[in-house]
Amino acid sequence: MRQSPLCLAVVLIVSMLPMKAVHADDQDVIDYREHVMKTMGEQAGAIAQILEKKVPADNFAMHLQVLAVTAATAKKAFEAKVIGGEAKADVWMHWADFAKRLDDLSAATASLAATALSGGLAAAAPKVEGALTCKSCHDVYRENKK
Amino acid sequence: MNPCVHEIRSFLIILRRVLIQTAFVVIVLPSVVSADGQDAIDYREHIMNTLNEQAGALGQILAGAIPGDNTAAHLNTIALTAQMALKAFEPKVLGGEAKPEVWLNWADFSKRMNEFARKSAEAAAMAKQKRYDDPLLGEKIIDALSCKSCHDTYRNETKKQS
Repeated sequence: MRQSPLCLAVVLIVSMLPMKAVHADDQDVIDYREHVMKTMGEQAGAIAQILEKKVPADNFAMHLQVLAVTAATAKKAFEAKVIGGEAKADVWMHWADFAKRLDDLSAATASLAATALSGGLAAAAPKVEGALTCKSCHDVYRENKK
Repeated sequence: MNPCVHEIRSFLIILRRVLIQTAFVVIVLPSVVSADGQDAIDYREHIMNTLNEQAGALGQILAGAIPGDNTAAHLNTIALTAQMALKAFEPKVLGGEAKPEVWLNWADFSKRMNEFARKSAEAAAMAKQKRYDDPLLGEKIIDALSCKSCHDTYRNETKKQS
């Protein structure tokens, strides 16, 4: 049996609704991952201040530890496929790549934190740029609404 | 005019000038934030905003709005960040949302911050052993995150709500 174009349109719209409409629960999911991503933003900001020698480096290793832990929580926070906030749909369309990037970030920052604990700022600072690849990921997966 | 009265009057004028200048140095200068001072404020705000975001995430988990998989990680982050916070407030730079009481009552402020770091580390350790909805863990978290009592004394919340 052939379906009318109208019927097809309704089916199409209904099938798309869960992707578009943000429910109360979905807003929770968006808020949650934004808490996690803002944490990473704040920590990256603090690390940048240390590298620019604007503030003392006493907390350098701990900032990296926090980033490592938070990157791991971020992957979990994005598992729920809820479009909205600043996340592009590509996050879930290319989940394997997105998840790998977060895993890499978590591993790189954890390794860097260990370097900073043993060798201090001098040992870890040159490797920070290679580990904190925020922009390359944001360019692909973040819609900057601000 | 009696020369003695004239001398006293001159002395009082000089004294008044000295007092005004001293008051300016004591009262006004500390509130002028230099470039370095702004860096110190920005830095401690990065740290306090981190605590705020992590407390928000944890609050969502405790409210049942979000699965509890990351509970221990959030508490671990809070414990680490609380340790950093004390260092971030060591420079006596007025400004941002910090009240002068932070430095006027430094012994109390640092004691509270150290307790906060210790208790949140204990809660993080407990969260690795217990489910996020275990009442004992809930109590431990509430005891650890006594943010409001400290903010009531040391934070000027009228400037910005984050």
